[in-house]
Amino acid sequence: MSLWRYILWRVLAMVPTLVMISALVFLIIELPPGDYFESYVAELRALGEASDLAEIEQLRERYHFDEPLLVRYLYWAGGMLTGDFGYSFEYRLPVSEVVGDRLWLTILVSFVTIIFTWVIAFPIGIYSATHQYSVGDYGLTLVGMIGIAVPNFVLAIVLMYFANIWFGTSIGHLMDQRYLGEPMSWDKFKSIMEHLWIPVIIIGTAGTAGMIRRLRANLLDELQKQYVVTARAKGMKPLPLLTKYPLRMALNFFVSDIGSILPSIISGAEVTAIVLSLETTGPMLIRALQSQDMYLAGSFLMFLALLTVIGMLISDIALAFLDPRIRLGGESTK
Amino acid sequence: MITRRQTMALMGATLASGMVGKGHAETDSLADRVAAGELPAMADRLPKVPRVVNLAAMGREPGRQGGTIRSLIAGQRDVRYMPVNGYARLVGYDMQFNLQPDVLERYDVVTDREFTLYLREGHRWSDGSPFTAEDFRFFWDDIANNPEVYPDGPPVEYLVNGKPPVFEVLDERTVRYTWEDPAPEFLPNLARPAGLRVMVPSAYLKAFHPRYGEPAAIEAAVAENSVDDWIALYQKLSRTNRPENPVLPTLEPWIPRTAPPADQFIFVRNPFFHRVDENGVQLPYIDRHVLGVSSAEIITAKTATGESDLQMVGLDFADYTLLKQAEDIHSIRVNLWKRTQGSRVALAPNLNCSDAGFRAMMRDVRVRRAMSLAVNRDEINLALFYGLAVPSANTLLPDSPLYKPEYAQAYASHDPDEANRLLDEAGFQERNASGVRLLPDGRPANIIVESAGESTLETDVLQLIRDHFREIGLAIFPRSSQRDVFRSRALGGEVVMSVLGGLDNGVATADMSPAQLAPTLDDQLQWPLWGMHFLSGESKGEAPDLPEAQKLLSLFKDWRMSETTEERAAIWASMLEINADQVFTIGTVNGSLQPVVSAGWLKNLPDVALYGYDPCSMLGVYMPDTFWSEKAP
Repeated sequence: MSLWRYILWRVLAMVPTLVMISALVFLIIELPPGDYFESYVAELRALGEASDLAEIEQLRERYHFDEPLLVRYLYWAGGMLTGDFGYSFEYRLPVSEVVGDRLWLTILVSFVTIIFTWVIAFPIGIYSATHQYSVGDYGLTLVGMIGIAVPNFVLAIVLMYFANIWFGTSIGHLMDQRYLGEPMSWDKFKSIMEHLWIPVIIIGTAGTAGMIRRLRANLLDELQKQYVVTARAKGMKPLPLLTKYPLRMALNFFVSDIGSILPSIISGAEVTAIVLSLETTGPMLIRALQSQDMYLAGSFLMFLALLTVIGMLISDIALAFLDPRIRLGGESTK
Repeated sequence: MITRRQTMALMGATLASGMVGKGHAETDSLADRVAAGELPAMADRLPKVPRVVNLAAMGREPGRQGGTIRSLIAGQRDVRYMPVNGYARLVGYDMQFNLQPDVLERYDVVTDREFTLYLREGHRWSDGSPFTAEDFRFFWDDIANNPEVYPDGPPVEYLVNGKPPVFEVLDERTVRYTWEDPAPEFLPNLARPAGLRVMVPSAYLKAFHPRYGEPAAIEAAVAENSVDDWIALYQKLSRTNRPENPVLPTLEPWIPRTAPPADQFIFVRNPFFHRVDENGVQLPYIDRHVLGVSSAEIITAKTATGESDLQMVGLDFADYTLLKQAEDIHSIRVNLWKRTQGSRVALAPNLNCSDAGFRAMMRDVRVRRAMSLAVNRDEINLALFYGLAVPSANTLLPDSPLYKPEYAQAYASHDPDEANRLLDEAGFQERNASGVRLLPDGRPANIIVESAGESTLETDVLQLIRDHFREIGLAIFPRSSQRDVFRSRALGGEVVMSVLGGLDNGVATADMSPAQLAPTLDDQLQWPLWGMHFLSGESKGEAPDLPEAQKLLSLFKDWRMSETTEERAAIWASMLEINADQVFTIGTVNGSLQPVVSAGWLKNLPDVALYGYDPCSMLGVYMPDTFWSEKAP
């Protein structure tokens, strides 16, 4: 199969995948009994906001809540195809308006976190593999393990506390309260930088540990192979040897990881984001799911699904370049 | 019918307006706009007779204008606290919960049927447009009685015995509502935290009404706001309970300047606000209110690091020690206010439960009394409230003039022996191997107690009650779910017992509605279906079939028809007595304390006060417009 046919085939396969995902997403957000309106009406009454009830009735009609499931699904899916992501009942705004700035801040946090993870994990993973069972290996592995073992929210609270005590950083959020909703300025940027490192370290540590382990294991496999032993015996210098052959082979897993990076850029680390009250999309998704704000939740989930599928496509293509065995896997066997 | 208080207020007002006329200092933050001709000078912005708040007489200090108050809210929706705290109502409660004219200059009431409302001359909405009888007429004729908006006639809140009032405009500043039958709820409804609306800023809203506005402009606005028709547009733009439309004129002390979605909401002073202090300084003192949106989880921490200048929401008594410690580090002040709920945490057996076995059990008054007697309230008080709350049944607080100790003590002592005897007598003698009593159909009395899962305090109380109930052979299993799911489950009869806060208004007076004591709302979890029946005008739910509940409902209807305060007090007493005797909800402790944190420089916030939604309107009755900043110039 040529590379281009392979890519075409992968792209076409995305369509039925997305249709199935959308049906599943819709089914899942419809599963809990009741809908957003029921609970919301009760709350309005309790607060004496009964005058808003008429509006709710209209929303209910407008979004076809009295129609059967399948019809509602078709309306929803059809709306998304035409760029109408529905209405967030909780925010009383179209979904597209609700997400707003949060998307950019989320991408910022996730992007910096990914870079942080790579910068930390790569050298450590390589060091651990090349110095297996050394004191450094054990020490760094221990640190990585702590990163996995300590729940993110605990770490978040601890870091938040010390950042406040030592540096006077305000609690939570990605910036000082006074910059929220303000246009970008140098002060606001400084404030973001002052706050950014906390979530980055918290979210990063967990990912770092996993990545160290995988890089170490993969690299160890390669290092024991015949060709490495031969090259070493022939007097090749250790560093070029390492980077030219085994490390490249060990990177396979890293490329396939790219697929999951895209969705994690949007959804990454919800728990940390909730504890730290970050202005990212994670807490918004969780709240939407809790309060059965179904269009908002559904749009998020579909967006994540789309990113996953695209991410997978990218990593498949990258892998196909990196390792011809994958591209040809369907036709020839070893 | 002008009371002495009103007369005094009027006299004071005339004096003060004289002083204002002499040219009192212009508000600093508005001076530029006045100089530029965008705003009239202060004397012209105020009504001819402003409401004069005599701070010295209230034991407070008159202050200076200026400054910003920062508060935290747990979500965008909580901007609704702003009009609750602002509490500018046609008629409002004072700190002793007496009704008094606020936005109105005065009002006359004739035999509780005829209400004449007098507006202040020269009173303006926050956009400078005049506030007149036309605003009432537009609302009544073109909205409330518009079959397009309300196909079934005016909303039920405006009806007395199913009949709407006769509305008359007497002159530009006087309107009158006349009902055939007494309407004792009318004024208290106006004074509610979310007050009944009888007027809207017509000059602004007429543009969106087909009778007055340009069809093309309305269509454009409909499209821009992505709604279906002018009705939805009107509803979206005119909403006041959640101030989300920064363009909507208001009479509140602060006007919103942020449209959602946003991470912080800014409210600025209303240049046309109708209150002044005794020195003729226009209120509110504080220029800006900033509400920062945080997650509920970190509100306490942020407050403790001095990032909030005025915080009550999101704090609980359990946070007191942390906050008190922070007092030494940051310049904040922590006060404890008393909560007005009838019970901080109460159990509600669901009399409408769909499971026949449990329903029969919960409807047996002996079972409810036994459960109440089993609860060791002193232990709960000591373990969770440092002994600072008061063990009590779910009833009014001693601060209410209607309070009687017997209501609070009814079945509120800890007497497991008597409880066991009552349960035996009710026919639950059989027990299984683990000592749990059996229902007549042989199932063990394993009671699932559901909560909305928002408060860890509820869970803690349930932990203690679980042990208390074990002594009387009842097993309870706490289960927390999501508020939304929980309510619809309760209405569906799937909940056997729930845990919730007690009576909302624990400091009621006879003139306040006793609706909370009778099945009138579908979120009364002891009888959601009966409440729904009343609420829906008998079209949904079920009619109460328990004599005591029927009696409560008929007493409530009597209250609505009553003509004198004495009559109302008597009705309240009967309703409280039935509730105490029947133990429809099982209270634990009340009068628990609520931390209220304020910045050290914030003046005039009372140290000791009542904390609650109804009737205090949170801060509303304590007039946050009179709070001021020592830091202000």
